[in-house]
Amino acid sequence: MSFGGLHTDHRAIVAVAAIVFFVLTLVMAVLPAVREQAFSTPTGARPRGHEEERGRRVYLREGCGFCHTQFVRDLPMDRPFGRPSRPGDYTLEDPPMLGTQRTGPDLADVGSRQPSEAWHLIHLYDPRAVVPQSVMPAYRWFFAEKDQAGPGDVVVPVPAGRAPRGKVIVAGPDAIEMVRYLLSLKQPKASP
Amino acid sequence: MRDPRLVAAPSTDAPTASVTFEYLAWATVWLLTGTTIGLIASIKLHWPEFLPFAWLSFGRVRPAHTNLVLFGWSSLVLVGVSLYVVSRTSRAPLWSPRLTRIALWLWNLALFGGLVTLLTGVNRGPQEYREWVWPLAVILAAAVVMAGYVAYRTVAARTLPEVYVSNWYILGGFCYLPILYVTSYLPFYQTGLGNTVVQGYYMHNAMGMWFTQLALGVSYYAIPLLLGRPVYSYALGVLGFWTNLLFYPLIGAHHFIFSPTAWWLQSTAILFSVGMMVPVWAGTGNLLLTFKGSSGAVRRSYALPFFVTGLIGYGLSSTQGTIEAFRSANIYWHFTNFTVGHSHATMYGFIAFIAWGAVYGLVPRLTGREPNPLAVGVHFWLALVGVLTYVISISVAGVLQGFAWVSGQSFIASVIAAEPMWLWRTIGGLLMVGSHVVFAVNVWAMRPQRVVAPAPSPDVVRIPA
Repeated sequence: MSFGGLHTDHRAIVAVAAIVFFVLTLVMAVLPAVREQAFSTPTGARPRGHEEERGRRVYLREGCGFCHTQFVRDLPMDRPFGRPSRPGDYTLEDPPMLGTQRTGPDLADVGSRQPSEAWHLIHLYDPRAVVPQSVMPAYRWFFAEKDQAGPGDVVVPVPAGRAPRGKVIVAGPDAIEMVRYLLSLKQPKASP
Repeated sequence: MRDPRLVAAPSTDAPTASVTFEYLAWATVWLLTGTTIGLIASIKLHWPEFLPFAWLSFGRVRPAHTNLVLFGWSSLVLVGVSLYVVSRTSRAPLWSPRLTRIALWLWNLALFGGLVTLLTGVNRGPQEYREWVWPLAVILAAAVVMAGYVAYRTVAARTLPEVYVSNWYILGGFCYLPILYVTSYLPFYQTGLGNTVVQGYYMHNAMGMWFTQLALGVSYYAIPLLLGRPVYSYALGVLGFWTNLLFYPLIGAHHFIFSPTAWWLQSTAILFSVGMMVPVWAGTGNLLLTFKGSSGAVRRSYALPFFVTGLIGYGLSSTQGTIEAFRSANIYWHFTNFTVGHSHATMYGFIAFIAWGAVYGLVPRLTGREPNPLAVGVHFWLALVGVLTYVISISVAGVLQGFAWVSGQSFIASVIAAEPMWLWRTIGGLLMVGSHVVFAVNVWAMRPQRVVAPAPSPDVVRIPA
């Protein structure tokens, strides 16, 4: 049995396989990616401010994107999360965080859906204080427990019984920047 | 060619034997580490206050788990076994055991660096299986290229004219992974949705153009060897190789269906996800038909049941993947835990079982030592019951999530619906990790010996360590 002489020529097998895969990689990944990038115009999102950008880095560091998508599909079940996502929503994102798992809700438009800074701070400190059935990690390392607040401290209004008795919970820079980032996640009105 | 007379293959030289075993031993270390971390992640979903430390929070252990089991356990065990297969089917010693060992240590360095950086929050964001920062990626790529070069030179030095089909798959895998890895890390076309297009391509091809290649390559050697008969159809094996190469790279975009990426890309991906049934069932059918009339051999062997399970896992889980790609099914299953069930059905039900079959089938021929058959049986049943419990419970969780969303309930309803299943998933995971401890004991029992010992079967040669 002969397969075009390939079966006795290891060089030919490797060369054909590598070239075919390389060409398919160009056609199915690299060139479509170049095209998406070239034809994508931002939907009017303003560039992030300094604190918001630092907050995005905290979001990346903690791997929030493994449970929260930022990707609204044009499906009825996605309506509560905002309007369907458009290519321009991601133009300035590096990396874009569309995501593959929705263990927690989508955050593409969370800044519009939940604009309260206090809610987000409590939620980050103790998710179950505001959503009893939540399984989100409590990001305690974003916060400091103090006997009393100092000047300029952002005190988190944690409900009674959810923080150590006699302590105040003060938001650290990670918490404040993360909330700035979350509040900046607002879908700009898409022009038709 | 059709009867490679692999049973009568000449002896493996001692350096080939010992370096192969080192790969398997390190793979086992990463298996234990990676799956223990996976278990921690699983527990956190029904017990969120478990181990509440920053470096063990869910968002950090999740990528640590996936990267360790993919690039640590699955890659190292398959590379180790593959290099042995390349050497035996070429009737030539491994081209450079020294370079092979250097590749292993670079590999371990990248894995260790990856573990530490991911747990401390140093990553490239949630870009699945390419979360490592680029210096670690460079080290891993160098290791893959080195090991691949050793495989290539060993085949080039073969003492028979034909290149056995195992080596097509193995050399193919070693070509594809570096191409894939480099194109997925180059930044020039990856801002905005360009990144998403590459992400779909990368995370999909990392499976089928690497793990599937090596697992099938190993199977095409080990199954005929253990059964003492040639593969059912050599031509089907070659057909599977080419159709996998032509179809598989076209389907990565099915991970982002209904996304704002190009619609033609998504439709092409769905179409060829159906096309993938050709290589999948060519491979599964061909290798399972090789067993025809050998049920006695399967009962007597402790390695063959792993292969049978792995092959059934390959066929079923790949078919599941095709169904998931349809837009109508994707509506219910996308974003849910059903995807997690699919990835464990493939990487565990297929890849890990094939790897274990190869280890139990080939290592005793390599080192002259056999594990306790009872312990292998314990490993098999713990792993099988564990992965079935895992996949069934997490798939049910996915279906419940999907129904909760489609029925328009508030989001938390999907969490409440899935939570009992997350507990069952942890129980399955516990059995799986338990089976890995037994496997580690068995690997230790098969370690190369320091003195020449009697061979357990006629085709095993005496090898000093």
